[in-house]
Amino acid sequence: MKYRNKLFSYKKPYDLKATNELLKKAILENCLYQYKNCKEYRKILDGMGFDPQKIGTNSDIPDNILEKIPVIPTMLFKRMKMFSMPKWKIPIKATSSGTSGKNVSEIGFDAGALICGLKMVLKVGGERKVFSLTPCHYVIMGYQPHKSNKTAVAKTAFGATLFTPCLSRTYILKYKNGKYLPDFDGIISRLKTLERSSFTCRFMGFPAYTYFLLKIMEEKGIKIKLPKGSKILLGGGWKQFYAEQPDKSEFYRLSKEILGINEENIIEFFGAVEHPVLYCDCKKHHFHVPIYSRVLIRDVDTLKPLGYGETGLVNLITPMVKATPVLSVMTDDLGILHKGEECGCGNSSPYLEIVGRVAPDSIKTCAAGAAEMLEKIM
Amino acid sequence: MIIAFGKRFKSNEQDKILSLMEDRINKTLSGKSLDIQKVINAIDALGKEIGSGIYDEKIKKLPIDDPLQYKDMAVNMLSKEALETKLKTELGEVSQGNTKIMPLGVIFHIAAGNMEGLPAYCMAEGLLTGNINILKLPQADNDLSVEIIERLIAIEPNLADYIYVFDTPSSDIRGMEKMAALSDGISVWGGDEAVLAVRRLAPPTAKLIEWGHKLGFAYISGEYKESDLSDIALHIAVTKQLLCSSCQVIYLDTEDMEELYTFGKRFLPILEQAVNVHSSNSIGTRANITLRSYTDMLWSFISDKNSPDMLKGKGCSVKICGDNGLELSPMLGNVLVKRLPRKNIVPVLRKSKGYLQTAGLICSEKDKIELCRIFAQCGITKITTPKEMSETHLGEGHDGEYALRRYTRIVNEYF
Repeated sequence: MKYRNKLFSYKKPYDLKATNELLKKAILENCLYQYKNCKEYRKILDGMGFDPQKIGTNSDIPDNILEKIPVIPTMLFKRMKMFSMPKWKIPIKATSSGTSGKNVSEIGFDAGALICGLKMVLKVGGERKVFSLTPCHYVIMGYQPHKSNKTAVAKTAFGATLFTPCLSRTYILKYKNGKYLPDFDGIISRLKTLERSSFTCRFMGFPAYTYFLLKIMEEKGIKIKLPKGSKILLGGGWKQFYAEQPDKSEFYRLSKEILGINEENIIEFFGAVEHPVLYCDCKKHHFHVPIYSRVLIRDVDTLKPLGYGETGLVNLITPMVKATPVLSVMTDDLGILHKGEECGCGNSSPYLEIVGRVAPDSIKTCAAGAAEMLEKIM
Repeated sequence: MIIAFGKRFKSNEQDKILSLMEDRINKTLSGKSLDIQKVINAIDALGKEIGSGIYDEKIKKLPIDDPLQYKDMAVNMLSKEALETKLKTELGEVSQGNTKIMPLGVIFHIAAGNMEGLPAYCMAEGLLTGNINILKLPQADNDLSVEIIERLIAIEPNLADYIYVFDTPSSDIRGMEKMAALSDGISVWGGDEAVLAVRRLAPPTAKLIEWGHKLGFAYISGEYKESDLSDIALHIAVTKQLLCSSCQVIYLDTEDMEELYTFGKRFLPILEQAVNVHSSNSIGTRANITLRSYTDMLWSFISDKNSPDMLKGKGCSVKICGDNGLELSPMLGNVLVKRLPRKNIVPVLRKSKGYLQTAGLICSEKDKIELCRIFAQCGITKITTPKEMSETHLGEGHDGEYALRRYTRIVNEYF
């Protein structure tokens, strides 16, 4: 995995042009490894008539390699587990955040991927200055770690508290009697203490809970001025990210008013367990593609790649993981890729906008009368 | 965006408005009751405006397949004749002598996000029964509902005190709890999760008016003709199996698995043709169909051969199943075929009680009465031909009930 390691060691996290060749090599390297070591992946490539062994690793790799390597829908990972190395070699397995235990995918992470991940987090996070040697207190708007919880969200929320030396961690979702329950009052009283601290405070976790906390505090008339430099870090899955989007401006207003945190100190992340590349928003709150990842938007009927500004299925590509064949995955989201220059923040890497999800995931409701309206037209 | 006291407010004024509502509602309830004739006239006038085409540009942008046909349906439903018939059928002659039919009081409507026009229609039903309505818009709603409701108030300013609209996100449980606390009834549409969430936030005294998700199926006993199969295929293709009344499972009155395969092979080309004629325009639906079919293809490579149980056609599939449970199919032209000998109908369908709605029946004339009786006794609320499973008839109930009755109560006065 020499190309992967080289890519993840590259200094500028958004210099896509300079890393294109390297990324292609790393992807091919990963593809060859998966082809040789994962029997299910091999069957898929054989079935699609794609043989990575026919492409020389040293010669010129065709430009369209990213589009040619068969893309695997996250839907398939939810149907079956796929691993490309013996289980004892996989230190961490993470699942997507399904609520019911059904419909979750389990992805293995090899030690190399975790090291790459660490390098990536340092560089991507560094751009938004999330690292500091000054200690701070953490308020985690997510799950308290527990051995029963394997979701990637719980792991990343904990991991993010390592961004700076940590003085304390307070969790909103506490594990009691076999289930997680939110403890808003506990968080509010903790915040009152932290207001007087000489160290800054950082929020980390689900946007929905953070928003909800701010609403409760507003309603109770509780306003706090957290020490200058305190930040809110938001993450926790695309689905939530998408659903909460309309609340963004309201969210920024409340953060300022209730906690004294300015918009520029609100930083959003996203990632998916099937594509564990860290996406971090820019000052204009756009998600630019980092060098470890490439995005293709595919036509919803033909799956052919589309250009900038067009809506389609989101194909995410990364050579990061060896233990599971997630080098090219397709999520259930609909998205648009925009040219980096359109953002105006100075980052020239394209940015991804999620505009919806494939529909429907359940039956439509039919109400008395109103259903008749729908039934008739059908 | 919020509508309250006949005016538009910004979303961040929600708490302020909620705190003023109790007094305002009490004042409204102290005054004269709502004149239903005025409600009917206003809704009728609104329907005519929609019919005139002034909202066409917005309606065309709705993520549905045939928006203008949808509009025509809406116009019909909002017409004076349709509303008067609905009132007469559903509330009938209840008010007489010492018995009066009265509004529940305040109804909190939690509308589902996946059906266009539903929020505004909920409001109309609440008004027709004289109730004060608090409507929580679905998150995905566009401005159309708000615009239409505002127009309704402009047509009949007396309705202003009976209409409150909020765009509260579903994550704002506190806000929703406050709305629930102001209400006599809470009306909710959605799947089990939505219904359970509402039960958690409802005060114990509120009447819950739940419109949960239901399941429909077709039942074939004895001989079937080519035209019967075309009817089922057409129904599946046009409803895309997205409605509660849509066919999810086709049951055959047999114990023989071979019969299922024979049926499946005969049915697949017919379904394929129907599905291709009625393909979807919605980008989300098309993406779903493409993604699912691509995933199935990859799955077939891994499992080495196409499963003999899965008969794949272009844009559709027929799955032959060994079990007999009534369940949601993968939808969008992917139907399940199962065995259900007549003697097992009751024990099998009773396992799905609470989810039963529509049965599409194909059988001989002599079996019809007997099968209808069995289905009705199991808990099914509509039994018809496959062709008519999602058709509605004037005066029919919905999920075994009349909506307007659920929004009202009986008051007795004796002197």
